[in-house]
Amino acid sequence: MSAILKRSSRNFLWQHPWQLALAILGIALGVAVVIAIDLAMESSLKSFNQASQAMSGTATHRIIASDGGLDEKLYTGLRVERGIANLAPIVTGYVKLVQPGEDNFKLIGIDPFIEKSLHAGWQNGQSESFSRDLLTRLLSEPNSVLLSEKTAQQLHLQINDQFKVITDQGAQQLKLIGLFSVNDAVAEQISAKLIITDIATAQEVLGLFGRLSSIDIVIEPDDPGTLAAIQQSLPGSALLVSIDSQAESMREMTRAFAINLKALGLLSLLVGMFLIYNTMTFLVMQRRRLIGSLRLLGVTRQQIFKLVIGEALLLALIGTVVGILLGIALGQGLLYLISGTINAIYFRIDAATLMITPLQIGKGVLLGISATLLAVLPPAYEATQLSAVKVLARSQLELGSRRLIKTVGLISMLLIIGGLVTAWFSGQSITLGLASIFLILFGFGLLTPAITLLFTKLFERVFGLFLGILGRLPARMVAAEISRTGIAIAALMIAVSATIGMDLMIGSFRQTVAQWVHASLPADLYVSILGDKMTAEKALSDHQLKNEIAKLAGVQMLSSALHTKLIADDQLTKISVFELNEASKQGFIFKHQVADDLWARFDNQQSIIVTEPYAYHHAVKIGQKIRLKTDQGEQAFEVIAIYADYSGDQGHLAMSRQNYQRYWPDLGYSGIGVYAKAGTDLKQLESRINQLMTTQQTVKSNQDIYKASMEVFEQTFTITETLRWLSAAIAFVGVFSALMALQFERTRQLGILRAIGITSRQLTVLIISETGLMGLIAGLLAIPVGFIVAYVLIFVVYQRSFGWTMAFYFDAGVLYQGVALAFIAALLAGIFPAMKMAQTHPAEALRTE
Amino acid sequence: MTTDAAISIQKLNKSYQESGQQHAVFNDLQLDVKRGEFIVLLGRSGSGKSTFLNLLSGIDPPDSGKVIINNIDITGLSEHDRTLFRRHHIGFVFQSYNLIPTLTVAENLLLPLELIKRVSRKDHDHVEELLAKLKLSDRLDSYPDRLSGGEQQRVAIARALIHDPDVILADEPTGNLDLDTAEQVLELLDILVRKAGKTMIMATHSQEVIGKADRVLSIHNKTLQLR
Repeated sequence: MSAILKRSSRNFLWQHPWQLALAILGIALGVAVVIAIDLAMESSLKSFNQASQAMSGTATHRIIASDGGLDEKLYTGLRVERGIANLAPIVTGYVKLVQPGEDNFKLIGIDPFIEKSLHAGWQNGQSESFSRDLLTRLLSEPNSVLLSEKTAQQLHLQINDQFKVITDQGAQQLKLIGLFSVNDAVAEQISAKLIITDIATAQEVLGLFGRLSSIDIVIEPDDPGTLAAIQQSLPGSALLVSIDSQAESMREMTRAFAINLKALGLLSLLVGMFLIYNTMTFLVMQRRRLIGSLRLLGVTRQQIFKLVIGEALLLALIGTVVGILLGIALGQGLLYLISGTINAIYFRIDAATLMITPLQIGKGVLLGISATLLAVLPPAYEATQLSAVKVLARSQLELGSRRLIKTVGLISMLLIIGGLVTAWFSGQSITLGLASIFLILFGFGLLTPAITLLFTKLFERVFGLFLGILGRLPARMVAAEISRTGIAIAALMIAVSATIGMDLMIGSFRQTVAQWVHASLPADLYVSILGDKMTAEKALSDHQLKNEIAKLAGVQMLSSALHTKLIADDQLTKISVFELNEASKQGFIFKHQVADDLWARFDNQQSIIVTEPYAYHHAVKIGQKIRLKTDQGEQAFEVIAIYADYSGDQGHLAMSRQNYQRYWPDLGYSGIGVYAKAGTDLKQLESRINQLMTTQQTVKSNQDIYKASMEVFEQTFTITETLRWLSAAIAFVGVFSALMALQFERTRQLGILRAIGITSRQLTVLIISETGLMGLIAGLLAIPVGFIVAYVLIFVVYQRSFGWTMAFYFDAGVLYQGVALAFIAALLAGIFPAMKMAQTHPAEALRTE
Repeated sequence: MTTDAAISIQKLNKSYQESGQQHAVFNDLQLDVKRGEFIVLLGRSGSGKSTFLNLLSGIDPPDSGKVIINNIDITGLSEHDRTLFRRHHIGFVFQSYNLIPTLTVAENLLLPLELIKRVSRKDHDHVEELLAKLKLSDRLDSYPDRLSGGEQQRVAIARALIHDPDVILADEPTGNLDLDTAEQVLELLDILVRKAGKTMIMATHSQEVIGKADRVLSIHNKTLQLR
């Protein structure tokens, strides 16, 4: 392309800094949200994996167990009797520091003199002398521990200092005997909340005498014999897993969550694309005279096309770079929210650091550039169609746009129908479910200009009737510039309908969960018994506590639950073990008709009931048998019912305590439900129960648990809310950008109005009315679209993502809020352009061409 | 401060700034225009004809001096009051017609009336009558971009007259028209403006208009000179 042409293009862009900045902002915001979500989600998972790797070193496999843990005899058996080397026993648990900050630390007990091949990541970085001297002391000195240099510094601890931690066993004194150094940022983050000690100290501090949390193993790929030997030695509560498959299963667990988040990021990009399209169209249309002149001078259509695409590429590059930087900053904030949600729903992430990889940056660059180029193709083509002889009048351009709107209207109908069909036939695919929402949103987005024209006709009549010509003008102005206003309205409509859809979905979910939590809490008080369920002593003390509670005055009856894990179909699976009374049986909401003898079969036959998510993810049907691993070999349990449960999206099994005790060791209880006699003062009963409990145990009323559960519910949607607002913010920038562009283009027309006697205040009102009208149209259109989005989210996406079914609860307030959001956003976006135009001197405005 | 003149310009100065330098457009302009007088203003492109009309209408404020129209010193009014003054007393005709593209022909005419008062059936009839006089009865509901240049300029003249202003300011009203159409437009202005006793100042290059004017002025060396 000619250097002069390039200069002409560059000069034009420089002369329009507002449009330039808004186009870059549009690209940057879209890219930033996508990058931020990707970075935060991947970093959360990577942090988990890296923390796990830092502890497991080069281990290829791990023996894990349910809450009962592993008997340490298994370790000696494998090592001595089976002669298997390369084994590393590990004891882990959480302790709370007494001072300062009362932070939770992970306590890890290791064998300090384990084979070098099994050294954890942190061990490999240390010097030889460190290993020999300190590790001997670690083994020989009671309650001696190691901390990272930085952690010790932060806690103001010196070597040989003592500090207190709280565990299930009460307060424990630890002695810092050495510091280890870490050589990278990730390791530093992981080691920040870590206390290293030897196996014996960890067992003592955590009260896990004779038990191990896991055993890490290195098995060579060409050694199937060792693998088989270990498998044969494992008791019913233990499972051998490969480290890779464990990481993969964590990723799989959060897959639906990640897909939903990424879809929200793409929504922002979609809204951003409308913004880019709008800005680029403006930049082309504003130069129609210039382009016409260039064509007269012999510039070819191809050169014009290249000129526009070249400009877009430049904007895309700048926007993408800014977007990536913004995305990294935003990702830091989202990381906290995402890892918080993963902690609440899936698994514990101790320390998450934002990890940026070239691949993720590459994805961002590709996304930013391709989205921009895609959005700029229509205006670039439009530029090539500008006549060389006759520069098209604005009105003729708008006529062209109106013809285009009719064609696009047909395409949009196809997209909407395609979206609905995809939703209907998407099977179990979450991606297809989300794709259907995008098709519906995009379809309605394309249909928006056509519907806007109908709305403006209506508004024109209504307002014209009461306010005359000035009342008709805003609607006319919207319709006259439909190629610009239509796109801005579409962007706002998409963002607001997504908001309405998600609000209706979250509202429906909230109602469903609230009803479920309410029904699931039939007891008056609930005793929560925390701690690692690994010791026989704990089971004994739990039973004692239950007996003592039963004897208290005012207690009518009790129920109990133990939440633990078993091995079902070679997977560690959550199970709830219930001891139910007649009242607590009423707390189950079944997803189908149940037979009268259900509870009799639950208590007396080898049967289980499963939660709805479990049934969905494992395609379990009633009558099917699930094989559970026990010390006496595998046992088949018949599924006799499927019940509602919203405590997690992976689902779990439930069985009677009688059934459980037949095959597995007693692990005590996780909670006890207390049913008070009629007329009992619950506060007094609560305080009587409190007197029986240790500091690790709590008693709460069903109302308190209900409130706490709903708080957790709200917390898990914080990330969704945040991302939704980001999309709305991008749409706001879109409307602002379109309005600014429109007002600049209309400067002369507004100057004429001023010349014939319209005051600057009237002009402000006129422009703000126009923008308000645009917002109102976007809001009104967003109602039906939001409704469809909510429907697809509830009955397609969420059901497939998490296995939950929920009822659709219609909340008219959400619709009003949606319309108000669109209206206010557009009004706010219009204020600055309106003020700017009102301040423009009419003489100056009249001079503008 | 009363004067018999419909327009009185006293020691009017105007300059603008470009690249940090002050450029004078007018120096101490003096002019009295009688009621019903038709003044033609000549001058080279860029000599300041449009600026002069903008100063007269209060669109542009002068650096110093006074513009008195109907005994009101509009240079002493606020921007808002100048707008209200313009709304009642001034009619504008521009070279490029400057009709509001989003309003129909009838609405373009009704808008100045609506800014002054509540529009009645009588006003609608008045619009129709005026358009009939201009042979635009069939264009009542058309949008400006559907009209030819001559038709648009006729609508612009009607818009300038519809609210019965005292002063008509016309900025090159025939500049975009062919010779025949330009003549028709000038004829119309002559009939509708002069014969209605309105004061008119027209900036133009057209020599044909000179014969019809009461006075011909030209802008030369930043001052007004009689020709």
